[in-house]
Amino acid sequence: MKGTTWHRLAVVGSLLTTVVFGLLLGDLVWQGLPQISLRFLWRTPSELSSLGGVGPELLNTLLMVGAASAITIPLGLAAAILRIEYGARPGFLLVFDRMRYTLLSLPTIVIGLMVFEWVIVGMRWPLSVGAGVIALAVVNWPFVVDVSVAALSGVPDSFREASLALGATKYLTLLRVVLPSALPALVSGLGMAIARLMGESAVLIFTAGINVSQHWGWSAPGETLAVHLWYLRTESVAPHADAQAAATGVVLLLLVGLVLYLTQKLAHWLKPMDALKKI
Amino acid sequence: MTVHQKNLRTERVQHGLFLTAAALLIALGFAFWGTLGWGALQFFLRHGLNRTILGLQYHPIKGQFGLLPFIAGSLAVTLIAVILAYPLALSVAITATMVLPRRWLPKIRQAVGSLAAIPSVIFGWWGLAMVVPLVRNLGGGSGFSLAAAGMVLAVMIIPTLSLLAIHAAMRVPERWVEGSLALGATPDQTLGRVVLQSIRAPLAEAGIVAVGRALGETMAVQMVIGGQPFFPHSLLAPGATLTSEILNDIGLLPPGAFGHRVLDVMALLLLVAMYGLVLLVERIGGREVG
Repeated sequence: MKGTTWHRLAVVGSLLTTVVFGLLLGDLVWQGLPQISLRFLWRTPSELSSLGGVGPELLNTLLMVGAASAITIPLGLAAAILRIEYGARPGFLLVFDRMRYTLLSLPTIVIGLMVFEWVIVGMRWPLSVGAGVIALAVVNWPFVVDVSVAALSGVPDSFREASLALGATKYLTLLRVVLPSALPALVSGLGMAIARLMGESAVLIFTAGINVSQHWGWSAPGETLAVHLWYLRTESVAPHADAQAAATGVVLLLLVGLVLYLTQKLAHWLKPMDALKKI
Repeated sequence: MTVHQKNLRTERVQHGLFLTAAALLIALGFAFWGTLGWGALQFFLRHGLNRTILGLQYHPIKGQFGLLPFIAGSLAVTLIAVILAYPLALSVAITATMVLPRRWLPKIRQAVGSLAAIPSVIFGWWGLAMVVPLVRNLGGGSGFSLAAAGMVLAVMIIPTLSLLAIHAAMRVPERWVEGSLALGATPDQTLGRVVLQSIRAPLAEAGIVAVGRALGETMAVQMVIGGQPFFPHSLLAPGATLTSEILNDIGLLPPGAFGHRVLDVMALLLLVAMYGLVLLVERIGGREVG
C-alpha cells in the first residue's frame, strides 16, 4: 500500500521498544530466578555469605505499604469527593488542584528530605518503620486523590440527578449511587497506587533506613524490597550481591504484578454492578 | 427530629469531613513550600545568592556551593530521555491505535499500564547490567555517564508516555480518519494532518508529564550517572543531577552540619520546576483545573 512509510516506521519503533523491555525483563528473570527458593523468601539478608534472603524486607514491604494505604485511601478519597461531588469556591479548588498536581509530580527524594527533616530531625524519631510509613503516605496521598477523582468523574451526571430528584440527600446519593458505580474504576486505580508504592525507594532510604532488625517493630529499621535492591547493587559487599539483587527484583516484580492482577480481577468482577458498559 | 432533618445533619458533618481532608492536602503543600523556602532563605542569608545558583564549583567543606553542575546534569539527562523516548512512545501509540486491530487495544493498554508500574530501581539495576557496559564499549570511559542515565530514563518513561499518547489518539473520532481516507488522502497524510494534528495539546501535555518524571527520578539516575559533582563537559562524562545529589548528600551533610541547608535549596529548585510544569499544563489546557 502506498503512503504508509510513517506507519511502517512506527511498527519498527514499537518492535524496538518491545525488544528493549524484553531484554530488561528477560535479563532480570534470567539472573534472578535461579536464586529464588522458599529459603530465600524466608531468611534474613547476610553480608557475609550468599545464603541470605529477603524475609524481613518482604514483610516490611507488605506491612508498610498496607499501613500507608490504610491512612491515605480514606484521606485521598475524601479530598476527591470534595473536589468532584461537593465542590467549593473556585479559588479554593484552583489552589487545591495546583497543590495536588505539584505534590503528585514532586520528586520523591524531595518528599524524603522533607519527612527526614520533619520526623527524624524535628520529632527525633529513629530511622524506622513508622517514619517510613509516614513518608510513603505523603507520596501516596496525591496519587490516591488523582485516581479517585478520575473514578468519580467517570460516573455520569444523570445518575446523580436521578437520585437527587427522588429526594435523596447529597450524602445518600454519594453513598448509594456514585460510589457503587465508581467502584470498579476506583479499585483498579487504587491497585495502580499500591503497586507504585511498593516500588518506591528514594523516599525511604533516609526515613526507614537500609537495615532490618531481628525484632520487628514500629520503631525498628524498616528496609523494603526496593531499597534492598538499591542497597545490594550500590553499597553491599556481600558475595553474589548482583544475583541477589536480581532475585530481589524478581520478587518485587512478582509482588507488583500480583497486586495489579488481583485488583484488575476484582474490578472486573465488580463491573456487572455498573449499569453502563464503559469502554 | 424527622428522618430528613437527621439526614441533613449527617450531610453537614460529612461535608465538613471532606472539606477537612482537602484542606489538609493544601496545608501539606504549603508546608513543603514553607519548610523549603525557610531553609533556602537561611542558606542565602548566610552564603549569598551569586555563588550558589550560578557557581561552577561544588565543594561543601570549602564553602563552595555552586549548583550549576547539577542543574546542567538534570537538564541534559532529561533532554536525552525525552528526545529518545518520545518517538518510540509515539510509535507505540500509532501502532496500537492505527495499525493493529482495534480489539487488541484493551490488552495493549493493560500491558503498557503494567510496564508503567515497574519500580525505578529495577530500571537502575538494568542500567548497571546493560546500559553502562554498552556506553563503556561504545564511548569509552567508565560507562557511568549522563548518556547512560538519559538512556535508562528514556526506557523508564516510555510506558507512561505511550499510555498518555494512546489515550490521546483514542479520542480522535473514527469518522475523521475514514473521511480523510475517503477523500483520497494516503494513510500517512491522514496520520499527520488529521490524527496528530487534532491531538497536539494532549501530546504536548504528555511531553510535559514525561519531562516531570525524568527530572524528578532519583534512584535509576543515581545508580548509573557516576555521582561526580563537576560540571559535565561531555555526555560521556560522569555527572550528577539535583535529585541524585540530594540523595548522596543527606548522609554527608547531616542537619546542623555546615551547608546542610544547600539541600533545601536544591529541593526548592525542583519544587519550583514542578510548579512551573503544572502551570504550563494548565495553560496548554489539556487538564481541567479549578
